[in-house]
Amino acid sequence: MRFTLVGLILLLATPAWGVDLPPDASVSGGKTMAAKVIVNSGRLEWTPYKRDLGRWLTLSYQDRRATPEPTPFELKAPTNGDAARGKALAWQWCITCHTLPGDEWPGTVGSPMAKYKQFKHPDALVFQQIFDARIFNPNTVMPAYGTFGLLAEQDIRDLVAYLQNLE
Amino acid sequence: MKTLFSILAAVTSFAALAQPEIPYREYEPLDQYEPHVSGDLKLSGSYQYWKDPAKLDYRMAGNPDENWKLNWKFMDPPFNQAVHGGHFALDRGEKLFKQLDAHHRFAVCLGAKKGKLKHLRAGYPRWRDDLKHVAGLEEVIEYCGARQGRVLQNGSYDNSAISLYLASLGNGQPIAIDVAKGPLKEAFERGRHLFHTRVGAFNFSCSSCHTHNIGKRLRGNVITTPYGDAAHYPVYRTQFVLQSLHLRFAECNLDTRTQPLLPGSQPYTDLEVFMTALTNGYPISVPAERDW
Repeated sequence: MRFTLVGLILLLATPAWGVDLPPDASVSGGKTMAAKVIVNSGRLEWTPYKRDLGRWLTLSYQDRRATPEPTPFELKAPTNGDAARGKALAWQWCITCHTLPGDEWPGTVGSPMAKYKQFKHPDALVFQQIFDARIFNPNTVMPAYGTFGLLAEQDIRDLVAYLQNLE
Repeated sequence: MKTLFSILAAVTSFAALAQPEIPYREYEPLDQYEPHVSGDLKLSGSYQYWKDPAKLDYRMAGNPDENWKLNWKFMDPPFNQAVHGGHFALDRGEKLFKQLDAHHRFAVCLGAKKGKLKHLRAGYPRWRDDLKHVAGLEEVIEYCGARQGRVLQNGSYDNSAISLYLASLGNGQPIAIDVAKGPLKEAFERGRHLFHTRVGAFNFSCSSCHTHNIGKRLRGNVITTPYGDAAHYPVYRTQFVLQSLHLRFAECNLDTRTQPLLPGSQPYTDLEVFMTALTNGYPISVPAERDW
């Protein structure tokens, strides 16, 4: 029984090296640092970056954390979204890749969102596509806004309301 | 029986410790790449337009809908004749190099055979016996500077300026690293794998854009091919002054909300090997500039 306990304690201890940021990450005091090039200097200046990015997976070989797996979301009706707020969110998050009505510099990586209402997709499908599109296509390049915690549930409900009303 | 169960449980636990479970990862489909710049003809096909840096089409360069097809080579010499910050960095690099190489020890340390510097840039990254790993030119400049008591941090202005000067001595020389065997092949394969590994808040890999969405728009930017990019680094950019390839990787990471790594880290060096192999056969063209 003692062996089992020792094994159990060691197993419980294993996440300790999985949580820490890898040693080759540019961090200081847990904060993401950006390198600044100083003219005529042999040293880099490191300044705190505007966002802390340490919670997500890096390219380091020593990073033992896992990518969040594709997650389904069961949307309970009614959607109760605020289309006006959804528009503001779409112009913040979606516009880089998707063409939105009124955009003079359209992104073309994603499908165009103009007249989206015509497709008559169920709200639950649109919600899932934003929450985690990997459920429909494992090779999608669309970020999983819900699973990765980038957008809250109500944010996505607002986006669904905005998109479903684009005529 | 109880003791046997305990021993088995302990052994299983230790086995789990010795070989930690491989964490869940996602990869973009692994496309085949050729370690030569002409491999782009099977990817984006834009190589036909920027194949010869001295004969770029002026009309394409001036057309915002078409200039991406030139892979921004119209901002490299000889097409780009403008004087920019890269030229000042070049002067600084020459001055620093001549100081450090007063007794020819610096060039020897960098690996220049018989003092010939012309082919130095085109042959990096390479295996270094003294470092016991594959290293990029900037990492070796830092290492050789330190041997003379000079601080030349990888990615710093002075380090990149020396790298730029050495590259300028090889202007027109085709990039030539052999990734067919040995440690460079291993680094190339690791780099290829990293290029397709999804990371960060957006779960992007490099190839999410630069393999699978070339020619498409991210608002004002058009995504270009990964082929041919290593021939113009370090590069002058107004926002970043003088940017080494590793600092460019760090910037890409930040732009896609990924925690960057330190310049000179092994993953960045492996990516550098991958990117350099995809530039094999393309002439070095410095000092170059790029957008902001």
